[in-house]
Amino acid sequence: MVNAMHELTEPDTARTPGHNLHLQVPAPVAGSAAAPKPAPAPESGTAMSAHDVSLSFGDKTVLSGVDLEFPAGTITALVGPTGCGKTTFLRSLNRMNDRVPGFRRTGTFTLFGDDLYAPSADPLVVRRRVGMLFQRPNPFPLSIHENVVAGVKAHRLAPRNKLRDITETRLREVGLWDAVADRLGSSPFRLSGGQQQLLCLARALAVEPDVLLLDEPTSSLDPVSTEAVEHLLRTLSPGITIVIVTHNLAQARRLSDRTAFFFEGRLAEAGETEQVFEQPASEATRQYVTGRFG
Amino acid sequence: MSDVSAPLGVPVARATSGLVATGRMARRRIVNTVLWGIAGLMTALVAIPVAWVLIGVVRKGVAGWHWSVLATTTTSANGGGLANAIVGTTVIVVGVVVIAGIVGVAGGIYLAEFSGAKEGSIVRGASEVLAGVPSIVLGYVGYVALVYHFHWGFSLLAAWIVLSVLCVPYIVKTTEVALRNVPTAYRDGSEALGMPTGYALRRVVLRPALPGIATGLIVAVAIALGETAPLLYTASWSDKFPTAQLTHANVPFLTYPVWTFYNLPAASAHRLAAEAALILIVMVVMLIILSRIVVARTQRHSENSGVR
Repeated sequence: MVNAMHELTEPDTARTPGHNLHLQVPAPVAGSAAAPKPAPAPESGTAMSAHDVSLSFGDKTVLSGVDLEFPAGTITALVGPTGCGKTTFLRSLNRMNDRVPGFRRTGTFTLFGDDLYAPSADPLVVRRRVGMLFQRPNPFPLSIHENVVAGVKAHRLAPRNKLRDITETRLREVGLWDAVADRLGSSPFRLSGGQQQLLCLARALAVEPDVLLLDEPTSSLDPVSTEAVEHLLRTLSPGITIVIVTHNLAQARRLSDRTAFFFEGRLAEAGETEQVFEQPASEATRQYVTGRFG
Repeated sequence: MSDVSAPLGVPVARATSGLVATGRMARRRIVNTVLWGIAGLMTALVAIPVAWVLIGVVRKGVAGWHWSVLATTTTSANGGGLANAIVGTTVIVVGVVVIAGIVGVAGGIYLAEFSGAKEGSIVRGASEVLAGVPSIVLGYVGYVALVYHFHWGFSLLAAWIVLSVLCVPYIVKTTEVALRNVPTAYRDGSEALGMPTGYALRRVVLRPALPGIATGLIVAVAIALGETAPLLYTASWSDKFPTAQLTHANVPFLTYPVWTFYNLPAASAHRLAAEAALILIVMVVMLIILSRIVVARTQRHSENSGVR
């Protein structure tokens, strides 16, 4: 918890000598593009947490009284019936709700101990460190290469002559390199849905986030693509802390270390996935995970 | 149902009638045919006058066409060529595109991306009122304020400003609509990567809106090309090429001969009027082709060019 690897507002001087305040600049990717990403130091403690969080839009309270911790390096699944507030909660974890009219939040979120919503915390830095993948693949109307490095360029994380290497490294990481190596300059919209989602994942990974939020990332994909994404998520853990919203209970069960069940605007239950599915503490959880409703 | 059931009361599938529509369905087919007929008639009502005007202009223009019209200036006897007016119109239109383009696109971006609901409705309302002001009124205001009160005289600057005011509402509107039509997935995606709003706008959001914005600019250019009344008040007319002077120098323009020379007795003036109209039409067509090329180039990576 106190293991704040990097502050939200202060540059980590060990990693980023001489750079301006709100931008974190990791060391450029190592020379050999094909080399696997050096495994990040295993992080201990809590990556993100929510304390007594309530979220509302206008008069409508979506969630209240949520206390939840995301241990570093784990995969946490957020499950629950439609409209239970899990996506709103997820989007609050990287401040994507900030500009939604009428959005209000009480309680605190932390990222490695730092207050996510502190006045000094820059939402752009928060989002760089807490990446997000959406329900439907959303590549930008740019070339495949430009898509992968879009965030890298926005945050000036690497010099221009390293961008090709980053593209190759990230596309290899998501297993897309062989399929697109000869058409990096062409449109991403000719790729299949699964490939587009992998491309979006490569784009999210390229800015080297600490946490990755996934909002039903495979609900629009076929089973083979779903397996590819799930396989990839397993290889990313425990280097990156992952939070995934899913309607697919089987997916939650086979993928996640921990599961949080949201029900009727509250966090009904959270714990080890095995325990939540096998020995749920609450009756609502039991009914939901055994398929009685939802 | 009951009358087609089998003896034991079990319904059996069978044809209840042929394939010819009866009753309400038959009426529906008649209504359908009538509405298609009306739609076709309306299309003809739009298309025929356009074709008529185009054919008329081209025939009259080509009949007396002489290439020297592009190279010589108008004489004081309303003969000669139109080179002065071609240059004048080009200078006016280019200036209007720059001035109105910057103001209009910036206004559209403000309305679509940055303004709150209240400021937005004020700016939008003002822009709509401006769009409704007759061009001759704008011309007269320009004459009183710029030409007379500011002592600019008939001048390029006055023409630029008045025509720009006329074009800005169109550009604001089309820019705003084009930006609002950009899928929210692009905004979400760039926001989730931590891109600053302005950066995301430049790099991601603006690109899919470019065809719409370009279309707005071309409509504006077409308006600027075709306007006569505001220019009569601000640019006046000149037999000579426009100078680099922004004020105190009359500017010739192509709609002037179309409007004025047609009412003159001389055959040479009639010929120039027809030729000026032809040149205007050719310019508009060339602009449309240019815009299509620009749009095609910006859409290389768009979703529409893919399979989705």
